[in-house]
Amino acid sequence: MADIKGYNMPDELYYHKDHAWARVEGTKVTVGMNDFFQKESGDIVFVDLPEEEDDVEQGEICGKIQSRKWIGKLVAPVSGEIVEINEDLEEDTSLINSDPYGKGWILVIEASDLDSELGSLMQGEALADFINDEIKIAEEEKAKA
Amino acid sequence: MPAHWRLFKNLSRPVSTAEGLAMDDTLPQSVALNNSPPILHLYTFVPSVNVGKYQDIEAALKLDTCRSKGIEFSRRSTGGGTVIMGPDIVALGLGINVDYPGLKKGVGGVFESLSLVLIRALEKLGIKAYFQPKNDLEVNGRKIAGLSAASEAGKSLLFHTSLLVDFDVGLMLDIMHTPLIKIRDKGYNCFSQRMTTVRQEVGRRVPVAEVMDSIEHAFEQEFNIRFKEDNPDEWEKKTISRLIEERYHNQDWIFSHKHPRARMGIGQLKSKAGLLEIYLSLSGASIENVLITGDFFSTSADIHRLENALKWTASRKESIEKNLSSVWQDDMIYGLDVPTLTQAILKAKDNQVRL
Repeated sequence: MADIKGYNMPDELYYHKDHAWARVEGTKVTVGMNDFFQKESGDIVFVDLPEEEDDVEQGEICGKIQSRKWIGKLVAPVSGEIVEINEDLEEDTSLINSDPYGKGWILVIEASDLDSELGSLMQGEALADFINDEIKIAEEEKAKA
Repeated sequence: MPAHWRLFKNLSRPVSTAEGLAMDDTLPQSVALNNSPPILHLYTFVPSVNVGKYQDIEAALKLDTCRSKGIEFSRRSTGGGTVIMGPDIVALGLGINVDYPGLKKGVGGVFESLSLVLIRALEKLGIKAYFQPKNDLEVNGRKIAGLSAASEAGKSLLFHTSLLVDFDVGLMLDIMHTPLIKIRDKGYNCFSQRMTTVRQEVGRRVPVAEVMDSIEHAFEQEFNIRFKEDNPDEWEKKTISRLIEERYHNQDWIFSHKHPRARMGIGQLKSKAGLLEIYLSLSGASIENVLITGDFFSTSADIHRLENALKWTASRKESIEKNLSSVWQDDMIYGLDVPTLTQAILKAKDNQVRL
């Protein structure tokens, strides 16, 4: 379990730069939003989920997430077919805040090109550098303010 | 040399909801896909009301009253709740890249950056406004502008603001469903104590054009840029026409069912501080709006601060307590504590119904 400056970023997951995480089990990839995103966004109010059986490409917007009066994007970390969505989020979107890597998962993709796509996702040192940069930018902006 | 941004400024006539919102939606698309610099759109609407992208329009509005009064209604593409528009309310749409120099990062940062511009604009008019996290601009505890946003194509975003130059609270109560529906006078007082306008603050009939000028100059100073007045190019005109058809003339968009369940509830609690009466609007499991009223001692600024701390947050007990505690100061409501106030809010939640 990696802690990067107070953000919980589990080692076994892969991370997209738009803050989606991916848990790979065979060709099935469970997707959610990471701890940095949920802390930065605040309480999630609504998730506009895609339909099961939709095809998505890596990097494509496959859903929308509203927090406060902001609508943000859920970007697919890998390509494939959406085979499952988390219906519990229809009742309680705050699961993304309270348990981002557990009950707050968003959807499952049956990946079509995992071997070539996993390389473009982040883990380990690359992830630590990315999160550190994000934190640094946020801190610089706060200092300027 | 300062960079140039484009300015679409419409002072000739108030526009329809379809025209105004489709043009706004085109701004971030043009920034992302049409190689445009940031575009600011300043205009006014015909008398109208729009709901947030993920709001239940039928639960939010009295649609029959809108129709009979000739008030247009629609759904915008940014987040948040119901917004009343009209010829005396400045509408602002901004399309900009999230990485634009000087724009703060993250959800909170973007709202804060754009708030600073509006604070500067209001200062030019002699009004001392401040940012009320997370999404409002206030003057002495009263809301004068609301902000909302959406991430759009590529790294662009659409930012929306409505700035009240003048406002008709009575009309708002006529066309919106609120938990105060049965108590019109109380509703009027409640909302008029929580809102203000440019004209009310300045004490003169400030023209809408003067407010727009002030916003324009504030942007120029805040981002060190110059505006070039412009009109949509051919690509943008086509996009506007397409979006009018796909969205704003499309009943499936306006009456979209992609939204959390909307509920409202009233809770009363006798406490040492006096009677607490809470009016709660819920959007799924989140608090969309809350009014804290009763016969206790407090100031409208403190009450508004508490109410704001709860807007668009989870309605679970621990979340309510945490968010109230984050702004709580001794005797904000004389003789009351956070657990008791939380209890009153949960009573309103327990009484939730669909209006």
